[in-house]
Amino acid sequence: MKKSYRLKVAPALLLFGAAGWTSDALSAPITFNTALPVAKDEFLAREQYVVNQSGDDPSGADKDRTARAAVSVLGYGVNGKLAVFGVLPYRDNELKVTVGGQRRTRAASGFGDLTVFGRYTVVQRDRPGRNFRVASFAGIKAPTGEDNKRDAFGRLPASVQVGSGSWDPLVGVVATYQTLKYQVDGQISYQAKNEANGFEAGDVARLDASLQYRLLPRKFTGGLPNFLYGVIEANLIHQGKDRVNGSADSNSGGTRLFLTPGIQYVTKRWIAEGAVQIPVSQDLNGTALKNDTIVRVSARFNF
Amino acid sequence: MKKLMAILMLALVWNAAAFAAGTQYQMRVDGLACPYCAYGIEKKLKKIKGVDKIDVDLNKGLVTVNVAEGVELTEPQMVKLFKDAGFTYRSMTRRPL
Repeated sequence: MKKSYRLKVAPALLLFGAAGWTSDALSAPITFNTALPVAKDEFLAREQYVVNQSGDDPSGADKDRTARAAVSVLGYGVNGKLAVFGVLPYRDNELKVTVGGQRRTRAASGFGDLTVFGRYTVVQRDRPGRNFRVASFAGIKAPTGEDNKRDAFGRLPASVQVGSGSWDPLVGVVATYQTLKYQVDGQISYQAKNEANGFEAGDVARLDASLQYRLLPRKFTGGLPNFLYGVIEANLIHQGKDRVNGSADSNSGGTRLFLTPGIQYVTKRWIAEGAVQIPVSQDLNGTALKNDTIVRVSARFNF
Repeated sequence: MKKLMAILMLALVWNAAAFAAGTQYQMRVDGLACPYCAYGIEKKLKKIKGVDKIDVDLNKGLVTVNVAEGVELTEPQMVKLFKDAGFTYRSMTRRPL
């Protein structure tokens, strides 16, 4: 039974993690990256608080999973085109499941896996009051989080562990078209998942899009005013099946589509933003656990 | 009282003269489209000794910089500065303050 629920809820954790690793610290989408620059020798920081609720369990075990994370992102501009980022989450995971008629709660908290990646601008077209950029990025998630936590019932399942134990490389391309009135971003990315402790999560492929539309000031005549953006994003995420001791788990992986309305307040020094990722389609394998909602609140700082 | 008035007048004249001694540069920069992105430019300009005041006008794509007397901003210097900030320098005008 333990093995069963470990397998079925793992995708929720992995998708949650995948949604966080590319979020950086620019005027940008809330759920993924941007191609906008980080100035040479400058640092940017972002703190994002994420609550990922999963339930709607088709297996009959009444599983309910809540994953909270405070995700810290630090970006550094090597030059006008190359920036490097580090992403470190502090995770608080909890899984409730009914086993043999008894309700069990299994939980773990601590620092998760560190992701580092570099992003390089390959296309830059600047015009008065607007720009278009395409950037490629590549990096790796290192197994810095603890992946062997235990409780009274034994070793915690992979979906509750704060670390994965594996080195997982990622690559992607992101494009941004920004004007004074609106900004459009699109990203395609892939993260390969490797085996650790006999468990290998399915690889993750993502297609993301974002529109940020300036709501305030409605009329913009000059200077450097603060902007209020209305945001709508879409995240199409496909994850392959997990493998346990070399065998594919038929109750894992699948494709999810999220629509994400949000709001973003942008000043010269900081950005405050919030969004709710709503699953509009979840075509999952077997009894894989479905996402309910993902709530994101974050602040970004220039310093 | 007369002495005090004279000192105040002298101070005013001296301040005005000091202010007028500087130069105002106005640079056209392409790619600027949000307030958060402009901050990197401001930080870089502030690192130049003698820069007094920086104004960014997003709508016009203009960066206006007042510098103290004896401080000169050059085109190659600005090309590099804006490139390092991730934007594109186009042109510059200057006038005495």
